[in-house]
Amino acid sequence: MLGFLEFAGQQDWISLLSSLIWIVFMMIFILYPTFSQRIQLSYILRDIERRLHKLKLMRDEVRRRVVDALKKYSDGGVKVDEELDRLLLSFMITPESMDPYGVVYKLEHILNTWEDTFEEHVKIICSKADKERAKTLTNLVEVARGLDYLYRVVRHYYLLGKKTSNIYTVLQIQMLMPQLMEIAEAYRQACYAFAQGQPIGDGVGVLAVAKLVEGAEKKTYEVAKDTIVHEVVLDGRKLFVLRAAGPGGAVGKPADGVLKILESEGDKVKAIIMIDAGLKLEGEESGKVVEGIGAAIGGIGVDKYKIEEISKKKNIPLYAFVIYQSIGEAITPMRESIAKAADEVVEKVKNLIASKVEEGFSVIVAGIGNAVGIGIS
Amino acid sequence: MFPQMRGEKPLLKPLTYLKCPECGTTNSRPFKEGDYVFKEVEEKCPKCGCTKMKIIGIYVKEKPKKPASKSKAF
Repeated sequence: MLGFLEFAGQQDWISLLSSLIWIVFMMIFILYPTFSQRIQLSYILRDIERRLHKLKLMRDEVRRRVVDALKKYSDGGVKVDEELDRLLLSFMITPESMDPYGVVYKLEHILNTWEDTFEEHVKIICSKADKERAKTLTNLVEVARGLDYLYRVVRHYYLLGKKTSNIYTVLQIQMLMPQLMEIAEAYRQACYAFAQGQPIGDGVGVLAVAKLVEGAEKKTYEVAKDTIVHEVVLDGRKLFVLRAAGPGGAVGKPADGVLKILESEGDKVKAIIMIDAGLKLEGEESGKVVEGIGAAIGGIGVDKYKIEEISKKKNIPLYAFVIYQSIGEAITPMRESIAKAADEVVEKVKNLIASKVEEGFSVIVAGIGNAVGIGIS
Repeated sequence: MFPQMRGEKPLLKPLTYLKCPECGTTNSRPFKEGDYVFKEVEEKCPKCGCTKMKIIGIYVKEKPKKPASKSKAF
């Protein structure tokens, strides 16, 4: 009676059913060749969605933290939430570079306007904060901006990939997700560091120069915006030790400081030494001190350009000391290995000055970085 | 193959390291808001009883690293 159910010599139900299911799946892949890609796409989208959700939680946590910090110094007449949202979405348009001549000075002008407007806006929100605290709160809002932008970019690629079902779009963002999540976690930690005024890894340059002049007889004055100079004499050489003014969060204008010093000192300056934090490669130790030549300074490039230009014009060698650290370590509370590296750099700078600069001449030593949590020694 | 589920990382808590200007003793305590490097604070030295201490460092204490095993090529 059940002879018609015979198939390939098999008579039982289970074998027949599994054969039928196998045939159906084969037909799906033959008639719908991109089915496997669809499965892969939905898996990748689910993975990105999970991480995007985590990013959203981090962003909301940082935003909440920033609002609390701003409200503490607000006078109550300002809608802190709304003002913060305005700041988070604000932007700066870089100048057109089709004709690159003079673009650095155009960029400098736009950057200065942006920084001044941003700081002024934060001061309006936190009218009860003093100058140092206002600078730190400005850095805090910048951290919130960074994380908010990161979240919006990842969300953009996720939604774009979902809308267009384009696996290549989502693959690109999925490949970068581990690094992006690491950066987001660093921003989260940085938010707490700035809220409490703790020194960060990026401040190692400032710490090193502060230790260089600690205890010495010196003349201290402001040479540019948020930038101070200590004039000290070391082994017969005059040192102009330049750094951002602390303990508020500020990076200063090292290039303007260098230009002003060279204007007054003329040809007496025989070397410019710069100390900064640098990005390490995986497998390298944090806090390792390396020496090199060139302008050790980050940022958008304006300060670096100006220092290189003036040193070329006056034929002054540029020496660099870089303290290795990861991108996370640069914006989170300073680690022990990085703090100890500052002492090592001080000795190396002294040796370099003794070997490269003759007595009676001057040296500029610039400590580059964010001076949050580092006072004046 | 399977996405990794990692919990939230704990916040880094730096310590404030202080030095007595009289006897040179250094000690540490948890960071307090308002601390900054080179700040002079009115805290008692645990050794000589001096009422002023100077903050010489604020950083996160790291665990001592284990020596690299022979099996690790890098």
